[in-house]
Amino acid sequence: MTGGWLGRALQVDLSSGQMGTLELRDYQRQVLGGRPLAARLAWELIPAATDAYDQENVLFIMTGPLTGTLAPTSGRTIMSAISPRTYLFPWYTHSTLGGWFGPELKYAGWDGIVVQGAASEPVWLEIDDHGARLHPAGELWGLDARTCQLALKQRLGSQAQVLCIGPAGEHRVRFATVQHSEENAAGHSGLGGVWGSKNLKAIVVRGTRAVPVADPEGLLRETLALGANVSTPLYANVAPAAAYAERRGPTCSQSCTFNCGVGQYRRTADGRRSPAFCIGPVWRRDQAMQETHYEGAGLRVPPSPNFDLDIETHLHELCNGLGLDMWFRLVMQPWLIRCVELGVEAIDGHPLLPADPVWFEAFMQDLAHRRGLGALLADDLARAMDALEDRLPAELVALGRELEFDFGFPAHREGRFWDAEPLPFWVISATLHASESRDPTIGAHQSSLLLSNLTLADPEVARRQLRRLAEQVWGDPEALEPTFEGKAPVAIWSQDQHLLIDALTLCDFAFPQLVRPLGGREVWEQTEDILGDLEIDRRLLRAVTGVDYTREELTAVARRGLNLERALLARAGRDRSLEEGLAPHFGLPCRDDGTSIDEGGYGRLLDEYYAARGWDLERGWPLPETLADLGLADVAEEIERLRLS
Amino acid sequence: MDPYRWLSCDAEACRGCQACQLGCALSHEGSAAPALARLAVDKDMAAYTFAITLCRHCVQPACLAACPTGAMALDGHGVVLLDDALCIRCGACQVACPYCAVFYLAGGDRYIKCDLCAGRESGPVCAALCPTQAIRYVDAGVTP
Repeated sequence: MTGGWLGRALQVDLSSGQMGTLELRDYQRQVLGGRPLAARLAWELIPAATDAYDQENVLFIMTGPLTGTLAPTSGRTIMSAISPRTYLFPWYTHSTLGGWFGPELKYAGWDGIVVQGAASEPVWLEIDDHGARLHPAGELWGLDARTCQLALKQRLGSQAQVLCIGPAGEHRVRFATVQHSEENAAGHSGLGGVWGSKNLKAIVVRGTRAVPVADPEGLLRETLALGANVSTPLYANVAPAAAYAERRGPTCSQSCTFNCGVGQYRRTADGRRSPAFCIGPVWRRDQAMQETHYEGAGLRVPPSPNFDLDIETHLHELCNGLGLDMWFRLVMQPWLIRCVELGVEAIDGHPLLPADPVWFEAFMQDLAHRRGLGALLADDLARAMDALEDRLPAELVALGRELEFDFGFPAHREGRFWDAEPLPFWVISATLHASESRDPTIGAHQSSLLLSNLTLADPEVARRQLRRLAEQVWGDPEALEPTFEGKAPVAIWSQDQHLLIDALTLCDFAFPQLVRPLGGREVWEQTEDILGDLEIDRRLLRAVTGVDYTREELTAVARRGLNLERALLARAGRDRSLEEGLAPHFGLPCRDDGTSIDEGGYGRLLDEYYAARGWDLERGWPLPETLADLGLADVAEEIERLRLS
Repeated sequence: MDPYRWLSCDAEACRGCQACQLGCALSHEGSAAPALARLAVDKDMAAYTFAITLCRHCVQPACLAACPTGAMALDGHGVVLLDDALCIRCGACQVACPYCAVFYLAGGDRYIKCDLCAGRESGPVCAALCPTQAIRYVDAGVTP
């Protein structure tokens, strides 16, 4: 091993206050870094039957070999633990975040942090070139995430990078985030609550060392060749070129040299320039909340209003400050509006005024502090439905469950409530939803969202292009045809790619470059061959590490990671019976084309996918030979014991 | 004779990706670290503004005047260069620079500064990498 890796993680035991070093080099040969590395360590370090807020839960913060180098978009960080959000019971899952924390951690000499135990009083962890120290966090506890970061930067300098929780994490809200910078967040998996349960308010890192790079000129050459000002194809190919030509949005991660379609600036009430990444623009774009709407099969998701832009900007920053996953609004606001539509104007004596911005702000505060109505909904909509089942109209309970149909995660890229996604793309998404530990489609932008966007832009042009693309990538022109069969190869390819970018680390808005940047709709419509460059990741990895991995070796890394995550799910008790429970959601008509699937059809999707993965059809768990082929014989032994128990 | 060229900065356009610093460190030092770069980008989180610290290659460089050994010199294209072999590590250049654009590397006990990627055919890497044109390689409006 030459460049990229530092070969060690900081091991922190919050219970005893002791610090140690975890050697990683043997692991990194097998799983590279990031998400697969965290899964490998989780398999070894988290005892079976651990709950999210148990002291035995272990929190992993991991980087990859590309993190901290010039490789475009490589500033990303992986975080994972047993999650409090997953429904019905806790299991291991992850979140990823952009920003500058991961690179700074490597400049301080560490590839990752492993946090065990729980402190008896609130603490924050300081890491620098010289080591790591725990400090009392009494004066920080209760602060919002932005104020907390500013206070720590005031103390340690503007170059220090901070991860921290807001009040929602302190109060163990099940969808609490870990925040960084303006609005980078480990947002979706409720890991802020895990920090809160460990009494860990913040981690601050400042490093001045270097990440070794095996071929500096090669890395420069690759990065410059990609273009410093090239739009990613996401959105940009189907928008008029003029819409992107002068785009100068914010960047949300170190080394992002792409002119991404995600970010935009707004001005705060006090005149500050403020970025809005990803789901942020939903809060701050006129009528964006209206995109969550649905009518069909006895369910109605009413469109929700956006408030005045100044108010939205304030609420958006408040959400980041409190440390709430911004996605809560996409399910809770429409559900609350539907409550009012059906004559439910109060719950447990708490009035519902979801279209009133003053009420909504107070509701956010109550969520983060577990007060009033917030105390009920801080356990998320799916669990609240269990609590309210006997007290609300059946339609509202059903709606609440469907809005978080994906094991407690908000509906996303499923062709019904949120995001347009016609056949076959929602079928691919359905397979991913069934097989992964969390909402899989934050992390699948380039390989799923991008393709459906092309289809929505012009079905005929897209179908012609996608047949050719499918032949080139999957060796089957039918792979993206609007049918229910034969979609497992695309789903598996998408998952493998995402495991890989989460191992390196890279951003899913840019990689894999399945479709090349064409610079605008005018060119896209005239193009037959849209295939991008799928070898960029391999070349970047070679330049940084000096190791010339084959595509087969990288695919094996991804599959090792996914099977480790799957084994962790099996250990937690998740299996096919639970995954079949997602079928009714996909029995609802797709809002774009009216297509749906019955339980038998959904079962056949699972059969096809499990078989292609080398998992058994009864439980959907990895077969012994699948694990052995990936060098995971030790994992296979325990899975076999679980099968027999 | 060709006009001098230099790097112009528009900090308002910067968004802190640090590609300039990483490219500089890779090009000059062979490894990735903002701390090894010959320019600095600092973010004020409270205001969401950025400051870029970069040598202006002054026409009458204060660093050159302060240097007691001739380690700091102007080449024929208006580029202020630091010859490490002549440098006695006195730090006078760093103190004299009005832009704080001479950096000291404690690890290697040496001073470094921007050399406009001397010898690089396509010009300075920081400008080539900048996605927002916050750093541009432009005519200085000064001829020799």
